[in-house]
Amino acid sequence: MFQVISRAASLSKTPLSRSLPAFSTSVRLDSRDPSRLREAPMIDSEVAISTPDELRQRNLLESTIKVPVKVDLSPVSGVPAEHICSRRVRIYQPPKNAMQSGTNNIQHWEMEFDNRQRWENPLMGWTSTGDPLSNMKVQFKCPEEAIELCEKNGWNWYLDVPKVKKQFKPKNYGVNFSWNRRTRVSTK
Amino acid sequence: MSLGKILALDKLTNFFNALRQNGGIKGSLYKLYRQDELKDGKLVGEDKYGNKYYENARYFYGRNRWVEYNDKVYLNYDGSQVPAEWFGWLHYKTDLPPHQDPSRPKYKWMADFTENMSGTTGQYVPYSTTRSKVEPWVPKKAA
Amino acid sequence: MLRQPLTRALKLSSPARAAPLAARTFAAQPPAPEKFEVFIDDKPVQVEPGTTILQAAALVGVEIPRFCYHERLAVAGNCRMCLVEIEKSPKPAAACAMPVMKGMRVKTNSDLTKKAREGVMEFLLVNHPLDCPICDQGGECDLQDQSMAFGSDRSRFTDIHFSGKRAVEDKDVGPLIKTIMTRCIHCTRCIRFASEVAGVDDFGTTGRGTDMQVGTYVEKMFLSELSGNIIDLCPVGALTSKPYSFAARPWETRRIDSVDVLDPLGSNIVVATRTNEVLRILPRTNEEINEEWLSDKSRFACDGLKRQRLVTPMMKDSRGNLTPVEWEDAMVAAARALQDCPPGKLLAVAGDLADAESLVALKDLVNRLGSENTCTEQYFPLEGAGIDLRSSYLCNTKIANVEESDFVLLIGANTRFEAPLLNARIRKAYIHKDTDVAFIGPKVDLTYDYTHVGDSASILKDLASGTSSHEVMKRLESAKRPVVILGADQLKTPEGAAILAYTQELALRLQDKLEDKSWKVLNVLQRTASQVAALDIGYKPGVGPVLQDGPKVVYLLGADSGVVSRDQLPKDAVVIYQGHHGDVGAAMADIVLPGAAYTEKRATYVNAEGRAQQTLAAVSPPGKARDDWKIIRALSEIVGERLPYDSLDEVRDRLSQISPALVTYGNVEDNNYFAQARALAQSLQKPVSGKVDVQLKQLEDFFMTDTISRASPTMAKCVQAVLKQKQSKY
Repeated sequence: MFQVISRAASLSKTPLSRSLPAFSTSVRLDSRDPSRLREAPMIDSEVAISTPDELRQRNLLESTIKVPVKVDLSPVSGVPAEHICSRRVRIYQPPKNAMQSGTNNIQHWEMEFDNRQRWENPLMGWTSTGDPLSNMKVQFKCPEEAIELCEKNGWNWYLDVPKVKKQFKPKNYGVNFSWNRRTRVSTK
Repeated sequence: MSLGKILALDKLTNFFNALRQNGGIKGSLYKLYRQDELKDGKLVGEDKYGNKYYENARYFYGRNRWVEYNDKVYLNYDGSQVPAEWFGWLHYKTDLPPHQDPSRPKYKWMADFTENMSGTTGQYVPYSTTRSKVEPWVPKKAA
Repeated sequence: MLRQPLTRALKLSSPARAAPLAARTFAAQPPAPEKFEVFIDDKPVQVEPGTTILQAAALVGVEIPRFCYHERLAVAGNCRMCLVEIEKSPKPAAACAMPVMKGMRVKTNSDLTKKAREGVMEFLLVNHPLDCPICDQGGECDLQDQSMAFGSDRSRFTDIHFSGKRAVEDKDVGPLIKTIMTRCIHCTRCIRFASEVAGVDDFGTTGRGTDMQVGTYVEKMFLSELSGNIIDLCPVGALTSKPYSFAARPWETRRIDSVDVLDPLGSNIVVATRTNEVLRILPRTNEEINEEWLSDKSRFACDGLKRQRLVTPMMKDSRGNLTPVEWEDAMVAAARALQDCPPGKLLAVAGDLADAESLVALKDLVNRLGSENTCTEQYFPLEGAGIDLRSSYLCNTKIANVEESDFVLLIGANTRFEAPLLNARIRKAYIHKDTDVAFIGPKVDLTYDYTHVGDSASILKDLASGTSSHEVMKRLESAKRPVVILGADQLKTPEGAAILAYTQELALRLQDKLEDKSWKVLNVLQRTASQVAALDIGYKPGVGPVLQDGPKVVYLLGADSGVVSRDQLPKDAVVIYQGHHGDVGAAMADIVLPGAAYTEKRATYVNAEGRAQQTLAAVSPPGKARDDWKIIRALSEIVGERLPYDSLDEVRDRLSQISPALVTYGNVEDNNYFAQARALAQSLQKPVSGKVDVQLKQLEDFFMTDTISRASPTMAKCVQAVLKQKQSKY
C-alpha cells in the first residue's frame, strides 16, 4: 500500500499541486516559479570574498534547526470524523459565466467540498441535503491560503487550475475590410 | 330533608337505579369495563350512528350530559364519532337536542358526517403531485 | 450589405467551391515588435503596437464596459458602450476599435467617460423593453448589470404616447434558440459568430436606424452544430435557450464544473443543477480544448439524462420479461453467471461513455476470472504497432495547436460533426492564418472551403508514397506546419490497417522534414469519449474475433452502439448490462445493473488528444443507480475475486500504475515513438481500393449519436427541424 501511495505521489510534479491522495490538475503555480524572478540577489561583500569552506562553516554556525510544526485542528474543531476523512476539497478559480462578459467577481480562489446527495422536500418542494458542508464555499486571495486552511483542518484537497491563459493577439478593426484576406466581413 | 337523605339511602337508591338501567350486574360490569363509569340518566335521543345521549341533572354541570357510543365500536370510541348536531347539545351550546330543534337547517346537499380517520387505515395520506424528475426506462414485454 | 470579397463571390458561383491552391510561402514568424508604454487611468502598461485600448486596459485589470466587443470575434465597434476619454482628444473614442499610440493617456473613469456611457445606456434603454422580471436572461444579463453600474438613475423617456417603444417581430431560428427580438440591442455578436465561427452566413441586419432588425432575412433555421453559443454571446435576452426557457433563475442553480463526454474532445462544461436535476449545461473556458464554445449536442442533450433511465436493477423473469428486482438478487445472479462461465468464454465490452475507473475495475475483474476478452466497440487495427504506441491512436498535434497550422489534410474525418470544436479551430486557422484544407472522402460541408482530393483510398497511398501529382502533395510538402487528421471510422474496414499505415507514413515523412521538430503531424480522431482511456488501459479494440468464439457471458459496460447483438451470441449466453440508459444494450440483457451518467459521478475521461480530465458529480444517480466502479467492485466481492480497492483514490492509484497519464488531470503528455510505429507499419502498406466514407454527413446525423442524445427530446426535435428545413426552398 505504501508503495502505491509513494508511486502516486511521485506523479505530481510539485508537492504544491495536491495533498495525497487526491489528484490535482495543476502543473505548478507561477508565483513559486524561480525563473520568473528578474533581479539578481544581493550578495553581502563579506560572503562574496570568503572561501567555500569558510562559508559552509559560517552557515552552520548561523543556522538554526527549524522543527516543522504542523497545525492540525481536526481533533478540536468538532467536525465529525466522517466529514474530515471522507471529503475532498477542490480548490479552484471560479469560471466565468458564459452568459456574461463581466469578470469582476471571479478573480479569487474558492474551495468547495465534493457534492453530495440532495433531494426535494416532499412537503414544500424545497431542496434538502444531509451535508453540513454543502454550502461552505470559502473565498481566498491565493490558493496557498486555501491549502493552508485545508491542511489545518485535515481535509484532502486538490488544486484545479483553469486553463484560461491564451496567446495575446492585438485586435484590429481594419481586418474586417481587408481586400485579400478571409477575415473580411461579408455580413453586417 | 328526608330521613333517607340523612342516612344517605338515596345514594343507595341511585346505585340500584343505575344498576337496573344498565342491564343488571352483568350489563353494569360490561359498561364499567367499556367506559369506566356507571351513570343513570334520561335517554334524550339517539343519532343515526347508534350513539345514545343521556342527561341527568343530578350530576354536576359539565358531567350531566353524556354519550354512550354505539356498541359496535366497542372500545374504539372517539370524540369525533359524535355528529355535529349532537355536539352542540353535548357541549351546552344549546339545550334543544337536534330532533327537537325546529330551526335546525336540513338540506339535501348537506354532507353526511364522518368521524376523524387519523390513525386508521382510512386516514388521509398526502402525496406529491409533482411529476417525477426522471422517467425510467420501461423494457419491452416479450411477445 | 452583402458585401463579399470578389474572389469569394466568384467561388460561390462555381459549383466546386475549390480553395485557391496557389502555393503560398509560409510567413516566417515576425520578430516581436517593440513594445511601448501607454497609461490607462495613470497605470503604465507595456503594449505591442496595434493593441486596442480595451485590450491594453484588460492587461492592467481595468475592465471597460462593452456589449458588441467579444474577444473571440471580430471588432464591430457599433455599441459605443466602450467610449473612453483620451487625453488631448476632443471626443471620446471607442476603446474596442481604437489602437493605442505611444504615450497615450486613457481615462476610463473620468466625468466625460461616465457621461458618454450614461448617454449610450440611455439610448439603449429607450428601445429596450422592461422585461427583466419575465426575461430568461434576468440575473445574468450584461445590459442589466451595466445599466445598474453605468446607467442614469432616472428616465427621460416620455414618448410612450406618441410613437411608443420600438417592437420587433420574433424570428423562428429552430428548436434550440428562442428569439425575443424586441430586446435586441443590435450588438451583432450573433451575426459575427455565425459568419466567423459557425461558418453559416445566415444572420444579418436589415433596415437602419429605428427600423434596424437582426434576423435571417428569410425565415430559416440556424443550421449549425454550434448554434447554442449565440445564446451565451447575446448580452441581453434576445436570444435565449428554448429548452431552458422559464426553467430557473441563475441564482437558484448550483454550478458544478465538469467535463463533457458526448464528443471525443472532452469540452469543459458547467452543469447547472437545482433539486437534483440537471437544468442546463454551459461551456467553461478552456483555451486548450473548447475555448469558450460548446457544441449543440453537448449543450442541449442534457434533457436526455432525465429520460429512458435505468433506475433499478432488473432481471429476466421466467417469461423472458425484464422485471425490477433488488440489488442483492441482481448481483447474486450476475455473480453466479460469472462464476459458472468457463474462463475463455467471458467477454466484456465497453461502450461510448464508460469512464476510466469502471473500465479498469471491469478489466481487473475479468482478468481475475481468467479471461482476456475485454473489448471496446470501436475498432482499431492491431496489426503493426497496434495500440502499443499511444501516438498511433491520439491527436498528437493537440487541439489548440491546430489553429497554428498552415495546411490541414482531413482523411475521412468529418470534423464538423465528429468533433465540432476541432472544426471550429480549423475554421479559425482558415480565417485568421489563411490555412488551407484538403479533404479525402465524400463531399461534405465543413463550413469552410476545402480542396476535395477525392474519395478513393488509393489517393492516400499516392500521397504517402510521394508519387501523387495532385496539387495537395506540393502543398503538403511545402507546408511548415502541416496537420493530418485521420477519422477513426476509416479503420473499421478491412483496409483500415493499410489506411492507418499510409497515414502514418505520410504524416511522419512530412514531420521528419519540418524545421520545427516539436510539431506533430499525425492525428487519429477517435469517435467516442471512452476509446482513448480504454485503449490506454489495455482493452482490445473491436469485438469481432471474440464473438466468433461464442461467449457464454457477455458483460456490457454501457455498450449500446449495437456491435453486439443477440443473434450473434449462443442461445444460452447470459448478457449482463451495466449502464445508465435503456437502449440497445439493456434491451438485449438478462441482467441490468443501473449505473450513473457522466453528470452523476466523479470519473475520469481521456479525450482524443490523450488529456485526462475528471467529471464531478453534479446530481446523485436516480433511484437505485450507483457509481459504475462501485458496482463492479461489489460484484467482485460476491464472485469471490475481491478487487483491491475500496475508495476512488485507490482506484486512481491503480489507474496510475497502468499509466500515470490517466491521473494527471488537465494535462496532456507529448507522444513519441513515431518512427517505431512507422517502421512497424511498413509491411502493412498493401494496395487499397476502397472508398473513404464518413458516417456523419449531414447536420441531422449529428444530433443523435449516443444513448444520452438518443433519449433527448430536444435532440429529436432538432433532427425533425433540420429535415423540415431541408424541405424549405431556402
